Amino acid sequence: MANGLPNPPTGLLTAGATRSLVDSVDAFLFDCDGVIWKGDELIEGVSETLDLLRKLGKKLVFVTNNSRKSRRQYSKKFRALGLEVTEEEIFTSSFAAAMFLKLNNFSPEKKVYVVGEDGILEELRLAGFDCLGGPEDGKKNILLEANFYFEHDKSVGAVIVGLDQYFNYYKMQYASLCIRENPGCLFIATNRDPTGHMTSAQEWPGAGTMVAAVSCSVQKEPIVVGKPSSFLMDFLLKSFNLETSRMCMVGDRLDTDILFGQNTGCKTLLVLSGVTSLPELQDASNTIHPDLYTNSVYDLVGLLQQ
Amino acid sequence: MLLTRASPTFLPSTSAASPSPQQAPSPISGRIQHRLVSVSSPVSGGPRRAARRSVMAAAGAVPAAKLEDADALIDSVETFIFDCDGVIWKGDKLIDGVPETLDLLRSKGKRLVFVTNNSTKSRKQYGKKFETLGLNVNEVYVIGEEGILKELELAGFQYLGGPSDGDKKIELKPGFYMEHDKDVGAVVVGFDRYFNYYKVQYGTLCIRENPGCLFIATNRDAVTHLTDAQEWAGGGSMVGAILGSTKQEPLVVGKPSTFMMDYLAKKFGITTSQICMVGDRLDTDILFGQNGGCKTLLVLSGVTSVQMLQSPDNSIQPDFYTNQISDFLTLKAATV
Repeated sequence: MANGLPNPPTGLLTAGATRSLVDSVDAFLFDCDGVIWKGDELIEGVSETLDLLRKLGKKLVFVTNNSRKSRRQYSKKFRALGLEVTEEEIFTSSFAAAMFLKLNNFSPEKKVYVVGEDGILEELRLAGFDCLGGPEDGKKNILLEANFYFEHDKSVGAVIVGLDQYFNYYKMQYASLCIRENPGCLFIATNRDPTGHMTSAQEWPGAGTMVAAVSCSVQKEPIVVGKPSSFLMDFLLKSFNLETSRMCMVGDRLDTDILFGQNTGCKTLLVLSGVTSLPELQDASNTIHPDLYTNSVYDLVGLLQQ
Repeated sequence: MLLTRASPTFLPSTSAASPSPQQAPSPISGRIQHRLVSVSSPVSGGPRRAARRSVMAAAGAVPAAKLEDADALIDSVETFIFDCDGVIWKGDKLIDGVPETLDLLRSKGKRLVFVTNNSTKSRKQYGKKFETLGLNVNEVYVIGEEGILKELELAGFQYLGGPSDGDKKIELKPGFYMEHDKDVGAVVVGFDRYFNYYKVQYGTLCIRENPGCLFIATNRDAVTHLTDAQEWAGGGSMVGAILGSTKQEPLVVGKPSTFMMDYLAKKFGITTSQICMVGDRLDTDILFGQNGGCKTLLVLSGVTSVQMLQSPDNSIQPDFYTNQISDFLTLKAATV
């Protein structure tokens, strides 16, 4: 498949390839963790890279599976790191979950149980939904006395599971009961990333952990709204007048970022500044091949200047 | 390859670990099964011994048979696990006849696994002669409740984690770094009401970063009945979470204490009864092998003497005993 570029397989980004890429693309979609920042630290050279791409007239959009913050909160994070990015340019899996409910006409009489953090709660409330759960339930425990009965709200019509550092048995049980016993209750996952750089120094368990826990208990697969699902792309396309064939997805994870790009018809660039190493990319067992790969986004600057 | 052992004691015959006909056979330990095999097998020799064995079987402890037909034992087994100290070497010296014995077993297509406490110096010395299957279980990290801790203790494992890690909190903020014990060789996951993000990260770090670290599941139930009134999320959730973060499938075992035998059996695609554990200590090697449903051979070239084996205070009876493993070369089936 050409996509305007020389034929695949995955090639190391070169000066020539960079020029071709930039000429054939109107918008760059960036994953955040491992591409723009690691935890709360900006990755070196990101600022210059984004400036250069904007100067060249490219649209910049940020698509992250990390549901811990809302779009508004992410905009603040960008600003704190010296980058000017508006809410409208950010698409998060927390936003995706809220939009999914909206698009599917989720009844205002029903409630949503959240296994996740503030980002999900904020997006849901902005969209007008009534939420239960979230970080507060991280303080609740089970009392195993003889006649203890675990109550749950029968009006919960959807359970949303995302990254949750306050995850505990109480929440797992609450979520399971809703999904199993409330007729028609939706089981939605913001994403299934196994790990991520929640702090700059090491990887931490991702939403995939919480989602798998609930999935194993209810023995059902969730609806996944974040990458690699193409759900978010529809919003993106509506917001900006773009075609996916003129977009490049830049990410650090093969089975979310790159797959998302491929599923939606974008060009794909893998950076090695996050969770994926070169040996992992080149391993015989890997079946996801991005168009191009490079160490970090900053390479674009150097290669364009050559 | 290190296997942590409890300090050697002879277990009293009333302990849960000693063989007893009343003990319900678990699918994994199969000790009752393997006892029956050894009673009826031709290697047990002579009608008088068979009679004595039947009497003893009724009493619960079948006495070890002196190894006579080595070939029959070898043929009945697919894998030999050797404890090293007192079996393969003593200190830094190889025991007589070991290389030839291992060659014989290899020539018969047997798989050899070596489990050792400490003698890395000796292993380096004898290098290629030893198949280096990495079973590095110095310590176990437990995501689970008291029951698992007790079983592991009985089997002589050192552990970290358990319910007390339920109080540990993490905050995902700048500079927060989680350290983990590099000696953890296995993460055992079961039902855990005190499950939290700390434990998920700890278990994940061990499995991902400690070379050869095993991921063991004791329970994959989706639901469990903690109370009669309703269903509760089961051990399958905790196992699912670790599977979610490591993308590795766990080895599912029936009992946490026999996970190493089950690991080997599953890895090689055999049953534990096709494994023979060869060791010089009754309360660790032999008991370990029995609990796992393996055949067991005690050698007298280490710390255990025949008097200790036959003492009335000892209730642990391996299937066979012999002086040293080179007896495999010399003992043949009796021709009359």
